[in-house]
Amino acid sequence: MLKMLARTGTGSGGSNAWVLQRISGLLLVVALFLHYLFLHFLNGGDVTWNEVTTRLASPLFKTIDLIFLVSVLFHAGQGLVINIHDYIHRPAPRVILVSLAWLLMIVLLITGTVTIVTLEPGFLQEMQMGQAAGVIDAIQSQGVAL
Amino acid sequence: MPKRTFKIFRFNPETDSKPSYKTYDVECEGWWTVLDALNEIKWFVDGTVTYRRSCRHGICGSCAMMINGKNDLACELQIKTLKGTITVDPLPGFEIYRDLAVNMDPFYAALKRVKPWLINNDPYPSKERIQSPEEFKLMGDSIACILCAACTSSCPSFWSDEQYLGPAALLKAYRYTFDTRDKGLGDRIDALDNKHGLWRCHKITNCYHACPKHLNPTEQISKLQRRIIEEKM
Ligand code: FES
Repeated sequence: MLKMLARTGTGSGGSNAWVLQRISGLLLVVALFLHYLFLHFLNGGDVTWNEVTTRLASPLFKTIDLIFLVSVLFHAGQGLVINIHDYIHRPAPRVILVSLAWLLMIVLLITGTVTIVTLEPGFLQEMQMGQAAGVIDAIQSQGVAL
Repeated sequence: MPKRTFKIFRFNPETDSKPSYKTYDVECEGWWTVLDALNEIKWFVDGTVTYRRSCRHGICGSCAMMINGKNDLACELQIKTLKGTITVDPLPGFEIYRDLAVNMDPFYAALKRVKPWLINNDPYPSKERIQSPEEFKLMGDSIACILCAACTSSCPSFWSDEQYLGPAALLKAYRYTFDTRDKGLGDRIDALDNKHGLWRCHKITNCYHACPKHLNPTEQISKLQRRIIEEKM
């Protein structure tokens, strides 16, 4: 297990990691371009919460975002691992750091996936309004006239 | 004859606890190279200054050293192109034997790993193995490498991993991989597609700037990377 971890990334061989790093890099460039295009040029005006969440909640954008998420985390994780391989030479610290790097990416992948999949249009606004209503109720129940 | 000042790295691991610089003022002819000045110092001023040289016309690769912070051939670099005090250091990234002479074993070991010779087990042709001018061009200028190690010693990837093949060995691998007479890629691929191999190159281009023969190992490494990917797919 440890041995296997020590060999992740640019470990044994390394051609696969190299190719995937380039592919994910390309995807990032495309995703960044799409992001600018949709957010700043095609939305026809203000960047508002409602507009953005409505768009991001569509299945098409959820798919794009998931691809974006996977490629950014792979690219970042791989980059970290390459740096670790460049600077850390003793096996034990190397295994620990490489594991931590991938662990971090996995945690981010899970939280990111949950965020994207469960995103509904304008949900934060509802939540805020709900909270605000709760606060108002609470204040009123104290007998303070608003 | 103008007087020039040379600040030379001195270290004898047997007697010195740490390295130091020693300064020498030398009257130099206008046409002298750095090697001429080093010879002047060794032959007439201080015989203990240690460095390697052999051909003194830029073909054996023995005299590579760091001059004013840049790897170069002492026998090719003209003194008149340098301003002020001339600082001479050994090639970085290698163990120091003494003064400017370094232990080149890791460099040769890396070279050996890429099998830098023609591999072709086909039956011998009746005449020589012919190459067209176009086929010859595929190898580019990689054939002009003199193995001075200026590139490998300038490479941060090599500084951080002594077993990294380094630009010189990778350039050699390129030279044979793109030689139409060679069939040895299968024998070399393990050394290339390896954690101390091709993928440690991060395109820093120090090798390109260091090469006294104006070769471009970075570019050839990129081509070799693509070739290996094609081979694996
Ligand atoms: S002495 Fe041969 S290359 Fe400089």
